[in-house]
This record gives sequence, C-alpha cells and structure tokens, in this order.
Amino acid sequence: MLDKIRYFILRALRNMRQWPFLCTASILTMAIALATVATFFLVVVNVEQLALRWTQEIQVIAYLEKAPSQNDLADLTQNLNNISGVESVTYVSQDDAMQRFKKQLGEDASLLEGVTSDLLPASFELGLASKFRNQQGIASVIEQLEGFLEVDDLRYGQKWLERFNSFAQMLRFVGIVLGGFLLFAALFIVSNTIKLTLYARRDELEIMALVGATMRFIKIPFMLEGAIQGLLGGLLSLFFLTISFVFIISRSLNSFWLTPSHFELLFLTPNQQVILVLSGVALGILGSLSSLRRFVRL
Amino acid sequence: MIQLYNVTKKYGGDSTAVKDLTLKIGKGEFVYLTGASGAGKTTLLRMLYSAEKPSRGQILIDQQNISRIRSHQIPYLRRKIGMVFQDFKLLQSRTVYENVAFALEAQGKKRYEVSKKVYQALKEVGLEHRLQRKPLELSGGEQQRIAIARALVVDPLILLADEPSGNLDQAVTFEIIDLFKQANARGTTVLLATHDHSLNQRFPRRVLTLDQGKLVGDQQPQRV
Repeated sequence: MLDKIRYFILRALRNMRQWPFLCTASILTMAIALATVATFFLVVVNVEQLALRWTQEIQVIAYLEKAPSQNDLADLTQNLNNISGVESVTYVSQDDAMQRFKKQLGEDASLLEGVTSDLLPASFELGLASKFRNQQGIASVIEQLEGFLEVDDLRYGQKWLERFNSFAQMLRFVGIVLGGFLLFAALFIVSNTIKLTLYARRDELEIMALVGATMRFIKIPFMLEGAIQGLLGGLLSLFFLTISFVFIISRSLNSFWLTPSHFELLFLTPNQQVILVLSGVALGILGSLSSLRRFVRL
Repeated sequence: MIQLYNVTKKYGGDSTAVKDLTLKIGKGEFVYLTGASGAGKTTLLRMLYSAEKPSRGQILIDQQNISRIRSHQIPYLRRKIGMVFQDFKLLQSRTVYENVAFALEAQGKKRYEVSKKVYQALKEVGLEHRLQRKPLELSGGEQQRIAIARALVVDPLILLADEPSGNLDQAVTFEIIDLFKQANARGTTVLLATHDHSLNQRFPRRVLTLDQGKLVGDQQPQRV
C-alpha cells in the first residue's frame, strides 16, 4: 500500500516536472479563475456589510409642525419613548437646528445673518432598538409615528434604504450567477488544459493500458496531479487576492466613499481562505476526471 | 491456450477484417501468423488482447472466454499477455529501467521485486548495462529488445508480437527471434505476426496464413 502511494505521488510530481509549461498554465488558469470569483465574493460581502452598517446607524427624524411648549415637550417625549422599537428620543429645538446649520455651513455661515431660527422646524431624532434597524422595523415605527398629530414630516431614508437593499440583492444575484458562470468557465478551461497535457501523454496512457494497468492505477496519478495543481492554484489565488486587497481595493475604497462611516473592509475569514484553497483542489480533481474519461480507454 | 471459434470482426458497413476464423494454439506453441498487409493479422492480435471485441464468435484465452469481457477485467487478461509492436511503443521520456519497470509497477508489484526482475529481464536481452539511457539514445534493435524485456518481465503466459522486426535489419531480426525462442523454451506461448517468410525458413515453426480475413493455411513445420 505504502509502495503504491509513494509511486502515485512520485509519478504525479514527475509528470509535472516533465511538462512544466502545461503544468504552469493549469496552475495559473485556476489561480486567476479562483481569484476572480473570490474578488467578486469580497465585493458582494462588503456591500452587504456596508448596507448592514448603514442600517445600524439609521434613525428616524420627526419634524414638528410647531415647536412644543415646555409642558407638551415632556408629554410628547414620553409618548414617543413609548413607541415600541424606539430606543432613544432626542429633541432638537429650532435654536439647536439653527446652530447645526451654521456649523455645517462653516465659513458661509454669514449667509444666515438676519435669518431667525423660526425658519427651521423643531424635530425629534429617534434612535431605534437594534431589532428594528431594518426595513420592516422602520416601517412599523413609522406607522405608529404617523398617528401623532404634532408630527408634520418624517425622514428616515426609507426610499434610499430600499434602493440600496435592492441594489445589494441584485448584486448578490449577479454574484451567484456570475460566480457560477466563472467557476464553470474555470472548470472548462482547467479541464481543457489538462486535456492538453493528457493529449501530450496519450502514448503513455495507451502503454499503461496495454501492460495491464487498471483504470484506477492510470487515473490516480493524474487526479493527484490535478489536486496538487489545484492546491498550488488555490494558494496562488489567495496570494493574488491578498496583494490586490491590501494594495488596490482597500486603499482606493477607503480613501473614497467609505471613510466617513469608518468602515473596515472585510477580507476572507480563515475558514473562507481554506475553502478557497480547497476549491482549487476540487477544481483540479474535477478537471482531471472529466478529461480522463475521454482519454483513458482500455 | 488460445482458441477461436467462428470469429468475425466487422468494422461498420461492409468492411470485414476477420471472417469466420476457427483455430487453436496449444500451450507452449510457437506460431507464425502470416499474410499480406490488410489480411487481418493485426485485428486478430488486437482481439486477443481485447483492444477489439469480435462481432461474432468466441475467443478463449487460458480457458477464459473474452468475447464479452467486461472492461474492468481487461487489465487482468493483459497481465497474462506480453505484447511487442513494430513501433516498440516505448516511453521516450523515461529511462530503459523505467520503461521495463513500468509494466511491473502497473501491476502493483513491490519495489524490491520490481528492481530485481527488471535487472534480470534486461540481462536476458543483453541490455543490463544501459539501464539509465533513454530509448532514443539506443539503436532500433536495442529499443525492440527493451520492448521485449518489458513484455517478458511479467512472466506472461502468451507473447503476442505484431511485426516486431518490421523496422529492423535481418541480423537484428534473428537476434530478436532468438529472444522469442528463449521465452518459448521457458513455456511461453508465442504468436508472431509477420510477413517476413525468411523467419520461417530459418526457424521453422507452425504457420497460420490469413488472406482477406480468412484462414487459408495452417502448416506444421517440416521435420528434418
């Protein structure tokens, strides 16, 4: 048994050494295919994470028709606090609103000279309990808020959230379809590259069959070779991915649209990295198997 | 050892390579299979090692009916048969030693057994000093001797040779036939397909003659 295992491993390694060009082509093809699929996966995961993060930060702003009196304010705050899903209630008076506006305008604040704070509506900023920080949760809080006569207008970025969620959903769908297609294409390319190596070795396959080698004996070294190439392809794709993540993706995205929310871009978890490398092994074995079926005949 | 009963091989349409062939070759016999090109010699040999299945009829090898052999049984049939071809069928990228060892490794033999047997087989064909050479560094005659060593290293019951001397000059051919005779003397049944009549004149043996797929002659050697 040990003799056989030793023979299979040596045979696989010798075959790879014998055809360095084809072997390198197989490894590179798998590495590029896997890295492409993994990149797409990372984009989808990060967009979803971003959507989640934005949803976490979401709050509802209820603009009031007129600023409440001190007495009404206490009651109103109490009533708003009683709404299920509302975690915190912050009152923003007309003066507070004006201060914020001025702060936002910065150097252009002088434009507001002569404008009184009556112009801006008073409002309540409602923080939501974590369970309610999603589309359905927000909808239920909004429904309850609409019963308040004092409330003139509600802002909660619902449309924007809906749009972003449907974008994330579409991205997920495209990711699955495109990922599946890419994997299928990778399998096709890998199996064709392996077919080329088998074609170059068809004499060897014929002679093996003639001297009484069983199918298993003929196939195992080739499958092992596919597995080794897949392993190397998987490791190489992880290397490509790490390099491009550190030097390209995270730098460009962090300096661009994600900085404001201090969002840390996600990379593959250790488990996902193992899965990526194992996918390479599986791809190599499947590629070998599908080609061997055509080439090895007794 | 080899028995054929009404064996016919057709290749699509009207092309018939072997027609209604019935013959017996006993254990330890040395038989020439002759006939012009296209007479069906190669097809007959291919059917004997199950590279082809007969369209009709029965073939028995060592009491086993191989007419409808299942593909997973073919390797075990081939382990009883050594094969030698006109084009040697050697692996050019491997050494002489590896080429011969290949046949034993394919049968799952242990490493120490492989090295011992390979050396012995190469010694029998006089090439034990060329172990680490590649086939292309050797002459045609030497390459054919490696192929014979590979066929004999597994101690086959039957040796099938398809025009083994087709690419060789006469002196080398006679050396090759000597090797077949030695294997035959050790009990291996030999079936040698050739169109070279000089072989039979020099080493008279039973001759089967095919013509257009039919057996037209079965001559026993004349005793001197």
